[in-house]
Amino acid sequence: MNASPVIAVTGLHRGENPQPGSAVIRSLRRVYPELRIIGLVYDSLESGLFSEEDAPDAAFTMSYPGAGEEAFWQRLDAIREIERFDVLIPCLDAEMGPLVDAPEKILERGIRVCLPSAASFKCRDKSKLAELCERTHCRTPQTIAVSDVNSLHQAAVTLGGNVFVKGRYYEARHAITPAAREAAYWHMLEQWGAPVLVQENVLGEEYNVIGLGDGRGHILGSCSIRKMLRTAMGKGFGGMVVRDPQLDAVAQSLIAELRWNGPFELEFVKSEGPKGEYCLIEINPRFPAWCDFPSTLNCNLPAAALELALGWQPREPLRHASPGKFFIRHAIDMTGDIRDLAALTTSGQFFRQPREVIPHPASSRSH
Amino acid sequence: MKLASLPTQIRHNGQPHVLEPAMVAAPAVASHAELASFHFQTVTWQADGFGFDATSGEFFTASPTALVVMQALSEGMARTQILERLTSRFEVTRSTAERDLESFLAELAHIGLTPESN
Repeated sequence: MNASPVIAVTGLHRGENPQPGSAVIRSLRRVYPELRIIGLVYDSLESGLFSEEDAPDAAFTMSYPGAGEEAFWQRLDAIREIERFDVLIPCLDAEMGPLVDAPEKILERGIRVCLPSAASFKCRDKSKLAELCERTHCRTPQTIAVSDVNSLHQAAVTLGGNVFVKGRYYEARHAITPAAREAAYWHMLEQWGAPVLVQENVLGEEYNVIGLGDGRGHILGSCSIRKMLRTAMGKGFGGMVVRDPQLDAVAQSLIAELRWNGPFELEFVKSEGPKGEYCLIEINPRFPAWCDFPSTLNCNLPAAALELALGWQPREPLRHASPGKFFIRHAIDMTGDIRDLAALTTSGQFFRQPREVIPHPASSRSH
Repeated sequence: MKLASLPTQIRHNGQPHVLEPAMVAAPAVASHAELASFHFQTVTWQADGFGFDATSGEFFTASPTALVVMQALSEGMARTQILERLTSRFEVTRSTAERDLESFLAELAHIGLTPESN
């Protein structure tokens, strides 16, 4: 291991469907500003590369998940020949499967991670959620996995017609008519592969819980929010911290049952009415894109995950975020330079240079 | 002068949902400044009429008279006592206040904020 560990982070694009990597980098630097962080990217236009505040020190292009696991490991090895990173923080769902399925490959390379076991990872799969919820007495919408159009329509009829059509890893579309269902089905199949999931629509407010499991059934720290703003894609663009013992208890029972190790995000809908119950929609096996928000409230979960991966003593304790604090996402334009783009596109690597400072005309006249 | 209306607004995703009793409103005699912050059910109400529910993350706004009623409920007052407080603080007939109170309690019940004893 390097004297000062080098950290690799993926998922740096904060576009319409924001990825978590840049938020993870920002959180890590809040506690460890001296860290060297590299980005593993799938596209040279991932927006986080061009950020002033949360860009990695260097970036390398990765092979697409579709290229297969062999290509994934080969590329990882090639990158480590140039930049021998010590810790890997994967931030995309599609990367998680190959990593949790091959702990020996991670171990033999000496890479430190903070990941769930393959067993607990599989138990939170969208298609297995009902079984998990039965064991933990947690409500979950009825979900049917389909792999052809006839099954899609049958499933929708079974679930009352008003359903969500969901991708295996990401995305969900609300579909009421057969035509809308079918369009959503083909989109999800093309984007994320089979099976496509058809889920009952539960009406209510959306709540999310981000946290870090210790692998023994305990939650080391967490923050719960109510989604205040949503994009047309259903992505949260604003959230209010809440503190509900009922929600905490549901989250605790799920994480205890899974013996979850590492970052997680639990997504719930609280059914309407005074006695509404939390209904588990899905469990994301990674940090969400809003993970830097709790870090501003002394609940820095990415830093805690890094410490867990390295076996370090926490530099800052995890505290409960105060209810009433909220975040609103603010999209801004990043300035890039064609030289950076060229480096990534041609050589698959890019090392961040200090930004060019353009002097103000008034200052040049005075010299 | 009549009793002011007891409207409460619930805001979800920036879109206010207005809950109003049927009665016709008039300005309140009591001002927001006369009330300290207090807890009613899971909501903390400020003197300016802003309420925040820390368990659900929802927030509300309420009129001065709505605040008086909720503060009375938080103190465990029965309906007759609340009516007395309303008629003593506002220039309103008992029958109007009674009708408004019923309407407002129904609104509170609808959003799950009425104590079971009422």
